[in-house]
Amino acid sequence: MPVPTFEQMRDAVVAGDIELARSLGKAAVEGGVDLLAAVETGFAAGIREVGRLWEEGEYFLPELVQGAEAMKAAMAVISPVLTAARSGHQPKGKVVIGTVQGDLHDIGKTLVGTMLEANGFEVHDLGADVPVETFVRKAREVGAHIIGASALLTTTMAVQRELCERVRAEGLGSKVHVLIGGSPTTPGWAESIGAAFAENAQRAVAVAEKLVA
Amino acid sequence: MSGWREALAERRPLVLDGGLGTMLIARGLGRGEPPERWIRERPEELLAVHRAYVEAGSDAVHTNTFGANPLRLRAFGLDAQGDELNQRAVGLAREASPTFVIGDVGPTGEYLPPVGKGDPEAWYAAFHAQGLALGRAGVDGLHVETMSDLREATVALRALRAAAPEVPIAVSLTFERKRRGFFTVMGNALDDALGELARAGADAVGANCSITSGDMRELAAAALAGLAGAGLAVPLIVQPNAGQPRMADDRLVYDQSPAEFATDVGAIAELGVGAVGGCCGTDPRFIAALCQRLGRGLA
Repeated sequence: MPVPTFEQMRDAVVAGDIELARSLGKAAVEGGVDLLAAVETGFAAGIREVGRLWEEGEYFLPELVQGAEAMKAAMAVISPVLTAARSGHQPKGKVVIGTVQGDLHDIGKTLVGTMLEANGFEVHDLGADVPVETFVRKAREVGAHIIGASALLTTTMAVQRELCERVRAEGLGSKVHVLIGGSPTTPGWAESIGAAFAENAQRAVAVAEKLVA
Repeated sequence: MSGWREALAERRPLVLDGGLGTMLIARGLGRGEPPERWIRERPEELLAVHRAYVEAGSDAVHTNTFGANPLRLRAFGLDAQGDELNQRAVGLAREASPTFVIGDVGPTGEYLPPVGKGDPEAWYAAFHAQGLALGRAGVDGLHVETMSDLREATVALRALRAAAPEVPIAVSLTFERKRRGFFTVMGNALDDALGELARAGADAVGANCSITSGDMRELAAAALAGLAGAGLAVPLIVQPNAGQPRMADDRLVYDQSPAEFATDVGAIAELGVGAVGGCCGTDPRFIAALCQRLGRGLA
């Protein structure tokens, strides 16, 4: 495959073409493309477009999930190379991320995870519909600095509170920051449950950097 | 009035009940706890809720069996009790003496790929088992509701029809308002979805949950126009929420007043639908206000 353009990467994610996204990721690696740019201007731009189409009512849950899967397929190829390029450098921090239990919205969380990874964090993505215990167990296991928890429904926001309470109850509160997001969440909600807040993936990177500084 | 099928076809409309799960939560059901557990553990609370709806004017009440299919019950280790829970739930609804007892059938909670790993054959078996239990317990009708995937709704309809061939079956989906109209989260358009269910033999089709009574007015008008345009005479069932939920402290709060709800749902009734009722956040006050608005004089 010739060296792919950012537009091709973007379009593969918008089309939800998992195989194409994977081979474009591979071609980007082999072709010596600036991988940080490939993520931000290529694949992540695609997932943002998928999100926009969802907001517009053009895309529905299956297209959303398919787009996120295509993104993940590309990242599975690119991430190890990005990580290896940094070998010798410590990751900026370790993040366990997921969408809370009862909530299947995968895309915003995947985008945040991807951007964190591209910016030097070690990211453990637990997927969607993640129980509180699983977040906490994984955070302990990997020695996470941050738990990222997404909720896209008013009905599942309460699980973010539960997560914060559990983190404190287990005595992890001094070591692990909870970072929340998702369309119904607000800075006020985050503050009331004792979490940090980011309204989008770009902000999440900045907030995460501040949290581990 | 003969059977539920005939009563729906009269389009008076019938008045159903309102929210059940949210009523049980208000009575102390814990978050994450299955409402079906109260069938054995707190039957008196369930009966009290059913009675309150009948007193408020509900012609029909739904059994507390939204999640009483083997796939969902398994998550709580209750699947071995499925038949008994369905049967007892019908008994509790019957004890409140409504005109009709409607066996409530909710989704499996699983999704088809790429969203999830659901298997339509397992779904069929689950709905069939629940349909057999509800049918044997003598329900007057079955109501598949809050479905967000037309494919799952269709599987449920087929399975219930096979399990309880004599029992009228209604199927309601849950829609969101998008710029281009009303769609399920899976992307099923309102007209297509209701039309397909009608053609698959549903005795009534409908919409419940997710959107407010104001949006539901528009949805009902659009749905009736769509069905009429397709030459489908199937009655419509409409059950909105009491507004959009929001988080307040640790609880979900529904802000709509019974009077507002009654105004909107009363207007829906005048469009000529088969049945109206409420979903999440509504309680017997909403049904009483609705009956008053409809001039039923029971409130």
